Amino acid sequence: MRLSFDESTEEFRREFVAWLDANLPPVEQTVERPRSTADIPPWARAWQRSLFDAGWLVPGNPPEFGGRNATLLEQFVHKEELTRRAVDVSFNPQALGIIAPSILTFGTDEQKRRWAVPILRGEMTAALGMSEPNAGSDLAGLRTRADLDGDHFVVNGQKVWTSGAHDADVILTFVRTDPDAAKHAGLSALLIPTDLDGVTRRPFGSIVGPNERDFNEVFFDDVVVPAANLLGELHSGWQVMTGSLGHERAMLWLDHARLLDQFLSQFGAHIAQRGLDADPAVLDWFGNVAMDAQALKLLGYRTLAKTRRGITATEQSILKLFGSEASQSAYLHALDTLGAESLDHTVRSADAQPYQLDAYTDSWFNRYLRSFAGTIAGGTSEIQRNIVAERVLDLPR
Amino acid sequence: MDFEFDEGQNDLQQTAARVLAKEYPAARARAVAEGKDDAGDLWQTLVSLDWPGLAISESDGGVGASAIELAIVLEQLGYVIDASPFLATTTQFAPLVAACGSVEQRRRFVGGVVDGLTGALAIADSDGPWALDAPTVSATRSGTGWELSGRACFVIDGDRADEVAVVAGTDGAVRAFVVPGIDVRAVRTPAFDPSLHVAELDLDGVTVDGDRMLDRPVDAETHGNPRDLALTGLALTAVGACQRAFELVIAYVREREQFGVPIGSFQALKHKAVDMYVAIERARALGYFAATAIAENDERRSTAASMAKAAAADAQDIVFRHSIQMFGGIGFTWENDLHLFLRRAKATSHLMGGATEHRACVARAVLSRTDLITEAES
Repeated sequence: MRLSFDESTEEFRREFVAWLDANLPPVEQTVERPRSTADIPPWARAWQRSLFDAGWLVPGNPPEFGGRNATLLEQFVHKEELTRRAVDVSFNPQALGIIAPSILTFGTDEQKRRWAVPILRGEMTAALGMSEPNAGSDLAGLRTRADLDGDHFVVNGQKVWTSGAHDADVILTFVRTDPDAAKHAGLSALLIPTDLDGVTRRPFGSIVGPNERDFNEVFFDDVVVPAANLLGELHSGWQVMTGSLGHERAMLWLDHARLLDQFLSQFGAHIAQRGLDADPAVLDWFGNVAMDAQALKLLGYRTLAKTRRGITATEQSILKLFGSEASQSAYLHALDTLGAESLDHTVRSADAQPYQLDAYTDSWFNRYLRSFAGTIAGGTSEIQRNIVAERVLDLPR
Repeated sequence: MDFEFDEGQNDLQQTAARVLAKEYPAARARAVAEGKDDAGDLWQTLVSLDWPGLAISESDGGVGASAIELAIVLEQLGYVIDASPFLATTTQFAPLVAACGSVEQRRRFVGGVVDGLTGALAIADSDGPWALDAPTVSATRSGTGWELSGRACFVIDGDRADEVAVVAGTDGAVRAFVVPGIDVRAVRTPAFDPSLHVAELDLDGVTVDGDRMLDRPVDAETHGNPRDLALTGLALTAVGACQRAFELVIAYVREREQFGVPIGSFQALKHKAVDMYVAIERARALGYFAATAIAENDERRSTAASMAKAAAADAQDIVFRHSIQMFGGIGFTWENDLHLFLRRAKATSHLMGGATEHRACVARAVLSRTDLITEAES
């Protein structure tokens, strides 16, 4: 057990910090804001491309995919420095965190060149088509069909909750290719460009407001998709899906940890300004958030280290559950501590952060509302508890 | 940075688990709780394994390992709810004497621990927390030595330790005196954990030789290490006891059938089980974070120790409620071992400050960070 980093990792950190100082776009260039999680304004595309070219986008990747074959510790300090400065490397997080890694894991060389590289370079945006009206927690029950007909698939069906679909160039879509096979066995993964005939995207407002349009319904009516867009083997979509979610879950804790750390600074400033540091109730919950943030980092890092060595880490399954509930509790406490003062919905929770989604500095009420995405999306907390109980604690099904 | 045990630490953990399962099975813990055994031989066993000297420096005659190794043994001792004087001796008495004692005093008392000397630390005020600012005991010069007056509460092993380090206010400074246990009038508190020794000490008129006043005062410079180790030790004891209670209830709900199925298949119980698991993992992670911070003298060490203490109390709270509830009627009986472990977990959570006090320490530390001040001004 060791808390400090070795000298070569610190050297890596210094190199990255120096690069950031020299290359972060000036604030005045960041005026144009993204409208969804697949909308990257031109300045942010240029920023993402410069990260890719310098090997700082995903440092663990090889240079041809925007990295520099960084070690695990180096990837960790990379995230740490980005967190410290409230900088995101992409405004299309699901593309960078889930879709690109899935293509790099399961794709052919041609698919990596055609899809993964433009996505990583910010030249193409992507969304993830998983959930359907009748396939939420029971994802393997999805019904969108793709029938192979010679050199193409014909796709029919509907997806929902597809974040950013209306601004995405391509949707990584999970479809049923063998209706006769068992639930998990008949699925495949297709890269479906959104400009194909028969693709209809209908954004809808979230609980935050009618104009907060990130979610989409996506309809597929006899959409003809080239067979070359099949990611992974035919009927092996479940492996791609668990691999994709694995990528998501392996690093999701880091986002929660980052947000909790950011929360501590943001609300810490409110406490300092209002002299709330004499209020025992505030100290109690605020101290608890600091403990959650620290514990999440400790558990997450240990899990990541084990996973990278090929050891199944049982802790992995609790990270999403723990992180999302800790964040939710933090936002609720912030909201309740401010009380009536939080009522003015237009007051932001913190100064705008030019290099991050505006959601992170939205009003406390909106941030509390959004926290429910964490406990619902990607497997609800209830499903997570079932998984941990059955797979980790070995309780009977 | 690395949050996993190295090979030697893994070996130590396995050895500790194996030895303690043999030397101190639940049946013995029960016999001690029922007053039929005093487990007097357990301490000698631990001494023969060199565990009391694990975190004592080689110059003081110890093994020279770190707080991490000590933490590993403490968690395993918590898991069996040992009745030995290990906790107070290694995490309270020895660290204070090591921090404040002269070379000679360290050799005599800290080195003594390696050979089996037992010790206690009298520092808590009447409410329980670490009371450095206002000791409840005072000392005045008397001939070549000192005379103590006052009472000390919640002293773990205060009724049976060979030596008691008493923190007392003097004219100029707060000092520590190593008082022979035999000179102290101690009344053991009839605690709800019957195998934990906690005592109230009456120190009025107790005289101490001059060479038993520790060389350096107990002040901001010297008290950090003892405080942090004491808190971390209590925290990992509670984590071990929680883990044991958790394992008992998990085994039970896998087997116990109602409505024709194991009750562990019901989601209402599964979700409680997972909440216990998460709380224990959180507490353990923060416990070893504190131990590592102490081992490395990291600047976060005191905050980490408070985090460990508060998280152990949180875990204990959830495990206590859910495990009895999930056991149902069987959990409500004296014959079931569950309550033995819950008693230790709750008692150690209450000593030297509970969750609320330590969360406030954590909050104040976070709020004092300079980056927050900068942000507030901007």
